[in-house]
Amino acid sequence: MTEDITEAGPAAVEDDRDGGTPVPTDSVSVALDTVQGDGLAGYNYAYLDEHTKREVRRAMLKAVAIPGHQVPYASRPMPLARGWGTGGIQASLSILGPDDRFKVIDQGADESVNAANIRRLAERTAAVETTTDSTAADVIQTRHRIPEEVLTDDQILVLQVPITDPLRKIDGSDAANRRRHAHANYGKMWVHLYENVVEYGEINIAAAYPVMVAGRYLMSPSPIPRWDTEKLDDADHLSILAAGREARIYAVPPHTDVDPLAFEDREFTVERFPDQACHACGSSDTFLVEVSETAGPEADDGTDDESGTDDAAFETRYACNDTSFCAKRRETPDLPKDHHLDRSGVDWGPATPDHGDGEPRDDLDSEAGASQRGDST
Amino acid sequence: MGYVAVTAGEEIIERAEDLFEKQRTSGEDEDIGIDQLDSQLGRVIGQAMSEAGLYAPRLAALAVKQAQGDTVEAAFLLRAYRSTLERFDDPVTADPGEMITTRRVSPAFKDVPGDQLLGPTKDYTQRLLDFDLLSGDPDDPTADWDPDDAGEPERLTNVMDLLRAENLVPDPDPPTDDDPTDTTRESVTHPPDRDAVLQELARGETGAVTALGYSALRGYGQVHPTLAEVRVGDLPVRITHPYTDEPATVCHATVTESEAVVPVFEKRDDPQFAFGYGLTFGRNERKAVGMTILDASIQLDGSDEPAEDAEFVLDTIDGMESFGFIEHLKLPHYVTFQSILDRIRAIRERNGLSSGGRVARAERDDVDSPREPPVAEVSDDD
Repeated sequence: MTEDITEAGPAAVEDDRDGGTPVPTDSVSVALDTVQGDGLAGYNYAYLDEHTKREVRRAMLKAVAIPGHQVPYASRPMPLARGWGTGGIQASLSILGPDDRFKVIDQGADESVNAANIRRLAERTAAVETTTDSTAADVIQTRHRIPEEVLTDDQILVLQVPITDPLRKIDGSDAANRRRHAHANYGKMWVHLYENVVEYGEINIAAAYPVMVAGRYLMSPSPIPRWDTEKLDDADHLSILAAGREARIYAVPPHTDVDPLAFEDREFTVERFPDQACHACGSSDTFLVEVSETAGPEADDGTDDESGTDDAAFETRYACNDTSFCAKRRETPDLPKDHHLDRSGVDWGPATPDHGDGEPRDDLDSEAGASQRGDST
Repeated sequence: MGYVAVTAGEEIIERAEDLFEKQRTSGEDEDIGIDQLDSQLGRVIGQAMSEAGLYAPRLAALAVKQAQGDTVEAAFLLRAYRSTLERFDDPVTADPGEMITTRRVSPAFKDVPGDQLLGPTKDYTQRLLDFDLLSGDPDDPTADWDPDDAGEPERLTNVMDLLRAENLVPDPDPPTDDDPTDTTRESVTHPPDRDAVLQELARGETGAVTALGYSALRGYGQVHPTLAEVRVGDLPVRITHPYTDEPATVCHATVTESEAVVPVFEKRDDPQFAFGYGLTFGRNERKAVGMTILDASIQLDGSDEPAEDAEFVLDTIDGMESFGFIEHLKLPHYVTFQSILDRIRAIRERNGLSSGGRVARAERDDVDSPREPPVAEVSDDD
C-alpha cells in the first residue's frame, strides 16, 4: 500500500542512455527495495536509516568525551509520541545490534504499557531478543529508574530524559543556560537550593536531583528518584541520557564522579520508607512505592462513604518498584543486589553494604534512609 | 503481579488499537476513500501536510483517515514516516513569484499591479449551515460559467517589491551561508537563524501559530501589521535533473503566502518598515498570516513579549512536541510521585504538622493555626 502511494514521486530516470552507467533512480520504491532485511518490511533495520543512527552514535561519543555536557543532535520523529521515550528509543536503536538483548522499564516495571510498546518497536524493527532480567540485558532503556541489581561494565543504561537542563527551573532560557554551563556558572542554582532551605528547612527537590558530573557540568540525572542518584557515581556501566523532544544527548561514562548538590549542614538525603518493607517479597532495602488497596474482602467501593478516601476504606501498602528484582526476591528472599557478580559488597546506592557510612541493610529504616556522601569523591 | 497498577503486554496494546480502529469502522456507512478525503477535505489535508512539513497529499489523506481526523496525529504519522526515508536531493530554491495564483488580495493598496484576485474564499459568506449538503449533492455550482480564456497566467508583481523599490522596506539580511538550515536534521539552538525560525513556524501547529500571532495583536506585542498581500496558489517544485543539470519541474505544491509591513521604524534617521513573511503548505491563510506576525515579531528581538521571544515561540509552537508532552502526563508517575510525597511529608514533619510521614485525621482537624501558604514547588518531574 505504501509503495503504491509513494511511487507517484519523481519518474524513474531512464538508465539506458548511451554511455551512461545505470544508477539507482530517485524513486522511493527503489530505495525501499534496497533496505529489505531484518526487522520491519519497508523500513531500515532498527527503524532509523544508517546515517541517522551514525549521527546519534557520534553525539553519544561526544557526550562520553564531555561527561554531563548536553550535546545537540537532530532528534528524528519516531513512531512514538514525543515525551514518551523517543530520545531513549533513538539512542537504543542506534546501538542495538541483532545479537543484543534489550530490556525496557517504565517507572520500574517491565510490564507497563509504554515499556511494552517500546519493547515491541525494538522487536519489530531491530529483531532483538528482549528480556526482563536486568542482569541478562546488554542495553536497558529506562524511564526514571535505575535497576536494583548492580549494572556491569558490559551493559549500557539508556535513560529517557524529559527536561534536559537542571537550570531550566531557575531560568527558562536555554540560550542563557548554555552560557552558564560554558562558564560553569552555577551560582544561581546554589541560591535556589539555599532559598529552598530558608523556605522549607530543607532542599525540596524530589526526583531529578541536580548533580555535578566529573566536577565540571551540572546535570539532571533525569527524574530518577534520589534513591537511584548515587548509583551513577563511579559506576561500572555507561549511562546514556537521551531527550527526543529537546534533542539533546548526554552521558555519564563509567567511573565518573557524580555528586548531588548539597550543603554541609543540609546533606543529600534519599527517600525514606520508615519501618516499611515490600508486602510481596519483604525487601526493606529497595525503592518502594505506595499502593492503596481496598481493605478487607467486605469493603465496598466506597460509594456510600461520604469521605471516599476514609482510612477505613483503604489501606496503604508498600511494594518494590523494581518488579523484576521483586520477582527474584520472592524466589530467593535474601538475594543480594550484586548476586550475579563475582565480588560482593558492591556499593550500589542506599542500603548496599559499602555505600556511604556503610550502614547495614537490615536496619536501614532506623536512620530514615539518610545517606551521606562516602569516600568515593 | 497484581500490585503494578498498569500491567500489560503486547496483547493489551493491540486490543486497545483494535478498539480505536473499531470506532472508525463500526458504523454502517461506507468506508471513506483516500481520494474523497483529498478532494473534499482539502484544507484538513493541507493542514496535516503543513504541520508535518511533508508535501504528499495522498499520504496525508491516509494519515488523516488513520488518525480519524486529528490533524496533529496525522502530521505526526507523516513526520514519523518521513524520518525513515533517505534524503536524496534538495530542490532548486523556489521563486514565489512563479506561483500560479488562484487568489491574491492586497489589503495595503486598492490597486496593485496584477489586480486583486478574490478567488475561492469563504471570507465574505454568511456563516450559515447549508442543510442542502445533508443530502450530499455534488453539483458544480460553477458549471454554467463561461469564462474567457485568459491565456497563460501572468507573473504578478509582488507588492513588497514596490515598497522595497521605494526604500520603505529594507531587504532581508542575506543568508549567512549558502545551505539553508534544516531543523529536521539539525536541532535548533538559540539564538536561531531566521531560516530556522521560518521553517519551524511553517511546520508549527495551526492553532498555536494563530494563538501566538493573535497575542501580539491583542496587546502582548508591538506588531500590528499591514498585509502587503496574501496569495494562494500552486508553486512549481524543481530539482536539478541528474543528467542534463537543467531544472526539471517534478510537481506543484499548493501553498499560501503572506507578507506584511509593520510600522516599527528600525532607524530614526532613515525610517523603514519592519516586515514579516509567512508561507505554508495548503490553503491555510490563517496560519500564513499568523506566521507573518510571528516572523515580524521575532525579528524585533524583544524579550518582554512572548511573541517576540524566539525561544518562547519556537519552544511552544510545534504540535508534535506539545502534543507528546501534554499527553505523556497520562503515563505512570509512581516513582516520581513517591519521591515528591517523601519531600512534602518531610517538610510537614519538620513543621510539626504530622509525624511518621502521614497526617492522622484527628490531628489534621486540630490544626487551627493560620494555614501556611501552599508549597509552591511540588513537581520537578517531567
